[in-house]
Amino acid sequence: MSYLEYNVKTVPAGARKVLYLNWPLILLLTAVASIGFLMLYSVAGGRLDRWAEPQMQRFGLGMAAMIFVAMVPIWFWRNVSALAYVVSLGMLLAVEFFGTVGMGAQRWIDLGFMRLQPSEVTKITLVMVLAAYYDWLDPKKVSHPVWVLIPLVLILIPTALVIIQPDLGTSILLVAGGGLVMFVAGVSWWYFGTVIAAAGGLVAAVFTSRGTPWQLLQDYQYRRIDTFLDPSQDPLGAGYHITQSKIALGSGGFSGRGFMQGTQSRLNFLPEKHTDFIFTTLAEEFGFIGAFSLLVLYGLIILFCVLSAMANRDRYSALLIYGVAAAFFLYFAVNMSMVMGLAPVVGVPLPLVSYGGSAMLVLLVAFGLVQSAHVHRPRGR
Amino acid sequence: MTRTPLRPLARILEARAKGENPDVIERENLRQRHEETRDAERQRAEGRLLVLAVFFLCAFVLVSGRMGVMAASDPVEPRAQASGASILGQRSDIVDREGRILATNLTTHSLYAQPPLMIDPGRAADELARIFPDLDAERLRKQFETRKFLWIKRKISPEQQQAVHDIGEPGLLFGAREMRLYPNGSLAAHVLGGAGFGREDVHSAEVVGVAGIEKAFDDYLRDPGNGRAPLELSLDLSVQAAVERVLFGGMKLMNAKGATAVLMDAHTGEIISLASLPDFDPNDRPVPLTEGDAADSPLFNRAVQGVYELGSTFKIFTAAQALDEGLVARNTMIDTKGPLRWGKHRIRDFRFYGNSMSVEDVIVKSSNIGTARIAMEIGTDRQRAFLDSLGFLKPTPVELVEAPGARPLLPRNWSEISTMTISYGHGLSASPLHLAAGYASLLNGGTKVTPTLIKQTAPVPGPRIVSERTSAMARDMLRQVVVRGTASFGDVTGYRVAGKTGTADKPRPRGGGYYDDKVIATFAAIFPADAPRYVLVVTLDEPVETSGEEPRRTAGWTAVPVAAEVIRRTAPLLGLAPDIEPRGEAGVTLTSN
Repeated sequence: MSYLEYNVKTVPAGARKVLYLNWPLILLLTAVASIGFLMLYSVAGGRLDRWAEPQMQRFGLGMAAMIFVAMVPIWFWRNVSALAYVVSLGMLLAVEFFGTVGMGAQRWIDLGFMRLQPSEVTKITLVMVLAAYYDWLDPKKVSHPVWVLIPLVLILIPTALVIIQPDLGTSILLVAGGGLVMFVAGVSWWYFGTVIAAAGGLVAAVFTSRGTPWQLLQDYQYRRIDTFLDPSQDPLGAGYHITQSKIALGSGGFSGRGFMQGTQSRLNFLPEKHTDFIFTTLAEEFGFIGAFSLLVLYGLIILFCVLSAMANRDRYSALLIYGVAAAFFLYFAVNMSMVMGLAPVVGVPLPLVSYGGSAMLVLLVAFGLVQSAHVHRPRGR
Repeated sequence: MTRTPLRPLARILEARAKGENPDVIERENLRQRHEETRDAERQRAEGRLLVLAVFFLCAFVLVSGRMGVMAASDPVEPRAQASGASILGQRSDIVDREGRILATNLTTHSLYAQPPLMIDPGRAADELARIFPDLDAERLRKQFETRKFLWIKRKISPEQQQAVHDIGEPGLLFGAREMRLYPNGSLAAHVLGGAGFGREDVHSAEVVGVAGIEKAFDDYLRDPGNGRAPLELSLDLSVQAAVERVLFGGMKLMNAKGATAVLMDAHTGEIISLASLPDFDPNDRPVPLTEGDAADSPLFNRAVQGVYELGSTFKIFTAAQALDEGLVARNTMIDTKGPLRWGKHRIRDFRFYGNSMSVEDVIVKSSNIGTARIAMEIGTDRQRAFLDSLGFLKPTPVELVEAPGARPLLPRNWSEISTMTISYGHGLSASPLHLAAGYASLLNGGTKVTPTLIKQTAPVPGPRIVSERTSAMARDMLRQVVVRGTASFGDVTGYRVAGKTGTADKPRPRGGGYYDDKVIATFAAIFPADAPRYVLVVTLDEPVETSGEEPRRTAGWTAVPVAAEVIRRTAPLLGLAPDIEPRGEAGVTLTSN
C-alpha cells in the first residue's frame, strides 16, 4: 500500500544521488562530531592518539557507511527491516551467552575488528521494524487493540533482553523511542494515557519492591535513583559524578575557561570524563555559550530531520526519519539532563561526541537511512 | 466519510458513450482516494508532530535553562555529609598533669568488601594478600564468592589505603574510622588501659574503653556535654617515662620476672607515676591469657591488681600505732629473744640481734620478734581497726576498672597469731598501691589520703590517722633505716630518703607453704624525710642479685637500689632541690650491709 510504487521512476539514479543527499544534515553531523574531537583532544591532555584519533577514524568509517546506506534505495531497507530486527534480537541473545563483560555489565559482542554493542543496533532496527509495520498496516486499524499489541511486543522483547544485561538507560531509550514512533503513526491517545499511568504504577512497584526478595532492580540502580534524588547524600560515592560535573559547569561560567584550560575534568576528578560525562568538559572550557551552541546544533539536526520527514510522502520513510530523530533526541536530552542533575545517572553517551565506536557507527548508519529516505523520496505525481 | 465510488456508473456510461477507456476514471478515482486518505493521515500526523514539537521545545528550554542557571552559579565545593560523620571526634583526649597528650583520636579508615560490585575478585584477593601478609588469598577468594559483604581490616594506614586504592577494584570500599591513638606507646599502659570498637557500621564506629582509665571514664570521655575537654590525669609524663626506664633496667639487673612502682604525692594522694612490668602497647592490646596465671600476662597491673604479702614494710604501722596509743616510747626496750613460740608457730628473725632492743632498733634492724611483741600489746581489734583506717581491708578506690576486683587477702580468722604475723607483713596480702597510700597517710603528718589518678587542685585533708608527732617520729625512724639500717643503698644524697624494706617469701600456688628461693622484695619510701612530699613503693617479683658470692634476694640488695635510682632520676623532675641535711644527734653513721 505504499505510495512509493507510483514514483519509483522519478527518483534520481546512479552517482547523481550524491547531489540529492541532505547536505545540511551532513554538515551538522560533522560539526557536532568535530566538537567531540576537540573535547577528546582536550580531555586527553592535548594528546591526539589517546581518544581523538580513533574517534576520527571511526567517524570517517561511519560517514562512509552512511553514504553507502544512503545510496541503497529506501524500499530495500524497508524490505529488510523485519530481518534486521530479528538479527539484532539474535545478537542481543548472543551477548547474553557469549558477550564480554565490561564495567559490571554484559553488553558487548566481539566481532574481531571491533566490539559491537547489540543494544545500540537494536535502537535502530526497532525503529525500522515499527516503521515497516505501520507502513504495511492499514492506517484505519492503527488503534485497534490487536494491531497495537503487535508493536508493543516488538518493543518489549528487546527491552527485556537489554534490561537483564543490565542496562537501564538503553532500555528506557528503547521504550521511549518505540513509543514515539507509535505516537507519530497515529495510535490513539488513550493508549498513551494508559501506558503513562501504568508506568507510574511500575515506578511505585519498583520502589516498594526494594529490599524484598522480588526486588525489581539491581542495588546499584536503586543507588543511582537515591543519588539522583539527593546527590549530596553521598558526595564521595555514587553522587560523585553529579557533584563534580556540577562544579565543572559552574566553574565554566558564561564564556568558559578556554580551550584546554578545564581543571575539573582534566585533573581526573571526573571518571568517565571521555565518555558519558564529556559534556562537563565542554561546559567548563567553553562555558554556557559552548554548551548552548552544541544544544542548538542538536536542535538543528532534529529540525532538518523533521522537515525532511514532513516533505516525504512515503509513510515508511517518514516514520523511519521520525524514529531516528526521536532516538537521537532522547540520547542527548537524557545525557545532558543526567550530567546536569535533571535525571538519574543512566549510562547514556552524548551522541557523536562521547568516545565510543559502536554508538557512533550505529548513529551514522541510522542517518544513512534518513539520507536514503531523503534521496529516494517520492517526487511529482 | 463519504467515499468517492471507484467506478461511478454515470461517468463510466458517459465515458463509454464518448468511446474513452473507463479504466482511466477508475485509476484517477483510486489516486484521489489515496490522496484523501494520505491527507487525512498527514493532518493527523501533523497534529501529533505539533504535540511532539511542544515536548521537544520544553526539553530544550529545560536543558538550556538549567545550563544557564548552573553556569551562573558559583562553583561551590560540596561539603562532606557522609552519614555518621557527626559522631566522629567525640571522645575526649586524655592528658597528663601538664596537659601533654596521653590518648587522642586519629581518623583512619576501615576496609570492607562488597563482592557483588567486584570486577575481578580473584585478582583483588591476591592483591589484598600481598598488601596484608596476614590475610589468606584462598580464604578471601572463597568469601568473595559466597558473601555479599565482609570486613577485611578494621584499621588501615594511609599507605595501605593507597595500595588498596591502587588495585582499582570498585568492590573494595573504605569507611571512615576514628581510632584511639596512644602516641607514647607503652608508656602508662596499665593506667590508660585501651580502647576498642563497639557498635560499628560502614561509615563510623563507636570507640569504647576496654580497660583502665579508658573504661572507668568511658561515659565521661564519650559525653559530648563536656565539650571535648580533656581528662586530666595526675600522672606526669616525664616522671612516668623516667620511672619506667629505671624500673625496666632494675628488673633486668635484678633478674626479676616482674616489677612495679608507684610514686604518689603524699598529701593529695595523686599518683604521679604508676608502672607495672612487663607492659604492653595499648595501641595494640595483646589478647588476655586463656590459660595459666592471669598475673603472668603483660595486661596484669601489678601495682593495682597484684596483691602480695608486703613483708617488713608493715612493721612501721605496728610501731606507729603503738607509739600513737602510748603503749611504747621510741626508746622502750623490747624483748627480741627468739625464737618466739606461739602454739605450734615459731617466729624467727633474719639473724640474731641480741636479747632486747629499742622500738627504733626493732624497725631499723627489722626484727620480726620485736614487732610481733609490740603487736601483742596492741591486740587484734585495735590492729584491725588501724589497718582498716589506712584502707588495707578494702580494695583501693583508685579510678581504674581493675581496682575493685583487687581485694586484699585477709586471714579468714584474724587470730592472735594472725595479729603477730600481720604486724610484720605476713598473712595479709595487699597491693603496692595500698602500701603507698598507707605510707602516705601515716607519714604525711598523719591524715588519710585517698589514691587517685585524677589531677587534684588542692589537697583535701582526710581524717586523722595518727598525731603529727607520731608521724614525724615514724618518719625519723624510717630515716634511720636508710641511714644505718637495712636500706642503706637507698640514701640518695640531698633528698633525705626515709623508708622500709620488705622481703616476703612467695607462697606456693597450691599445697600451702612458701618457696624458700622466691621472694617479693619491696621498698616503701617517703622523701624528703623532714618535709614529706612523695611516697615511692618499688616491688620486684622474684629478684635475685648475683654479683656477690651467693645469690641475694633481700629487698636491701634488690628493691632498694632500684628505688634509689628512681628517686635520683625523678626528684629533679618533681622540682625537689637537693639539700644537704643537718647532722643528726648521732655522731656516728653506721653503714650496714
